[in-house]
Order: sequence, then structure tokens, then C-alpha cells
Amino acid sequence: MLIHTVEIFMISIVAGVFGSILGLGGGIIIVPVLTLVFGVSMRTAVAASTVSIIATSTGAAVAFLQDRLTNTRVAMWLEMGTATGALSGALLAGYLSQRFLFLLFGLLLCYSGYNMFKARKAELPEGVEPDRLSQKLRLSGSYVDRLLGRRIDYQVTGTLPGLIIMYFSGIAAGLLGIGAGIFKVAAMDQIMKMPFKASTATSNFMIGVTAASGAVVYFARGDVKPLIAGPVVLGVLLGAIAGARLMVRLKATTIRKLFIPLIVYTALEMIYRGLK
Amino acid sequence: MSTHEHDLHTPSPHEPLEMTLARLLRIGSFVAAVLIALGIAVMLFGNEKMASGLVTAGLVALMATPVMRVATAGLIFVRERDWRFACFCLVVICALIAGMLLGHAHA
Repeated sequence: MLIHTVEIFMISIVAGVFGSILGLGGGIIIVPVLTLVFGVSMRTAVAASTVSIIATSTGAAVAFLQDRLTNTRVAMWLEMGTATGALSGALLAGYLSQRFLFLLFGLLLCYSGYNMFKARKAELPEGVEPDRLSQKLRLSGSYVDRLLGRRIDYQVTGTLPGLIIMYFSGIAAGLLGIGAGIFKVAAMDQIMKMPFKASTATSNFMIGVTAASGAVVYFARGDVKPLIAGPVVLGVLLGAIAGARLMVRLKATTIRKLFIPLIVYTALEMIYRGLK
Repeated sequence: MSTHEHDLHTPSPHEPLEMTLARLLRIGSFVAAVLIALGIAVMLFGNEKMASGLVTAGLVALMATPVMRVATAGLIFVRERDWRFACFCLVVICALIAGMLLGHAHA
């Protein structure tokens, strides 16, 4: 039992490091490891992973907020989409074909992975013209890039399309339980044309809120097992704090290269689940 | 996209909001981490009941943190008379509460 606790703790640190760098929850590591290696039931693993998303988000956000990589205004705007989307997802469960949704979102991610591959050499987006809504909401941001050693000022576009995509990604996260972070990063990167590091940091900031509402439900059902979720959360929290410090010093192109295989893997998994 | 050389610590007009939220998240994750670590330590001494109580308290602190974060951001927007963004926060909080109530009903 003790050895298991230590092992779960160590693996969770790794999940926290990657989750915080990529702006994802880290469930992509936690769920398979807990179920396949430690023989934990799927329900317990997913519940532990959902709580650990909050740990990734909270642990990493401190460093990202201090470096102003997180665009809090964009986050609040898009959170409206994810929160109402997750709610609609819960209401629509049973009326929508999961198979169709898995296929649809899987194909969408494929397309997004292809676009990310095309942009793999660009460190920062160039020539972005803010749309009217973005100007009205004052969404433009600036952060100090520790690697480039200078301040990056950027504009945000695709404000309304971004919100709509977030609404559908909220439905997907609520119904399918995967892909919440991946869609956020992809939408901010490709539709709103934000710098990649600002996209992953802002996604990281947002996933905690989406996960909190899910975590409360798992908690009420008794799926959150303290002796499993405890070491997972502690490990992920420490990993996320370390990962965030590492991320601010990484090149955007490096982070993107880590992100592309994950987006392809998630897309294929979704399509497989849609066809199965 | 305009990028130019700058002092690395130029203050931004948004700084207060970000710093307040960073402090809130730091306190939340610190409280959660201490409670969970204590719980795991107690577990090593074999008191499983007390251990799961402490860990559960830590997990609850962790889950409350993002909700507090949205509420705090909302209050800051109200203070700054940024009604539009205060409204956005209200929408998020209402959706979160509705989702939790709905989840409870299904649980």
C-alpha cells in the first residue's frame, strides 16, 4: 500500500509537469496509469483525474499569473462558453449520439492538429488585427517572455467564434469527459491567434473552473477515494508548480512540438471510440 | 503583432487583478497540499479514518479554490465598474452552481 502510494505520487508529479506546460489536465497520463498499472476502477481513476485537473490549474496558475502569461480577460470571456456548454452537455446527455460527437470532435482535432503542424516553426503569431469585439472587451495582452528576454504585446481576434467553439468544447467535455484542455489551447492558438504560451497558460487557468463542477459531482457520488486521489493531487500540485517554472523558460515551438503528438493521439482515440 | 524591447518589469494596468488571483490560488493550493500531506503522513501511522478525513478536507479546499477565484474576479470587476466582465463572472458562477445542482440530482 505504501509503495503504491509513493509510486502514484511520483507518476502524478510527471503528469503535473506535462499538464502545466501544455495547458491540459494530465488525465491523459493519470487515467491509463491508475487503471492499467494499479488496477484502480475506471470511475475512481476518472474522479481522481478530474480533481487533479484543479491541482494542475491552481498549482501552475500562480507562476503564469505573475509572469502575466495568463490572459485573465480572455479566460473570463471564454469561461462563459465552457461553463454554459458543460451545463448544456449535462442537460443534453441521452439526447445526443455519443458516437456522432466522438467522431465530430475527433475529426475537428485532426484538422486542428494539421494546422498546428503547419505552424510548427512560428514562435509568435504575426500581423494579427483585433476584431471589433476584441477591442471593445479590451482582450489584448502583454507578457514578459523569459526566454526571449523582452515584452510581447499581442492582439486577439476571432472573439465570437472562439466563444462558440468553447461552448461546443464545453459540451464535449461534459458529455465525453475528454479533450477539455486540448480544445481550449487549439481555439486560442488557431482561431483567436494568441501566442502559443499565452494560449496554454490561459487554458491552464480555465480548466480548473470546468473541472471543479465535475469534481463536485464525483465527490457527491463517492467516487473520489481519498487514499487514491490524495497522493495524485499532491503529486500533480508539486509537478505543476515545477512545470510552470520550466514552461516560462521554454520556446513556444518546443511546447508546440510536445503538443502535436498529444492532439493526434486524442483525435485518434476519439475517432476510435466513435467507430467502435 | 508588435514586439519591442522593454523594461522587464513594466507595470500593466491589469496587474492588481492578476496579483490578487495569484495570491488566492497560492493560499488555496498551500492549504490543500498541507492537509493532504498531513493525511498521508497520518496514514503511515495506520490511522486510516483520520487520514481520509484530512485528505478529504484538503480535496474540498482544492475544489473550492477555482470557484472562489471566479467570485473574487467578479468582485474586482464590480469594484472597477467593469460591469460587462462582472456580468461574465456571474454567468459562469450561475452555470457552475446549476451544473453542480443538476449533477447532485443525477448522482
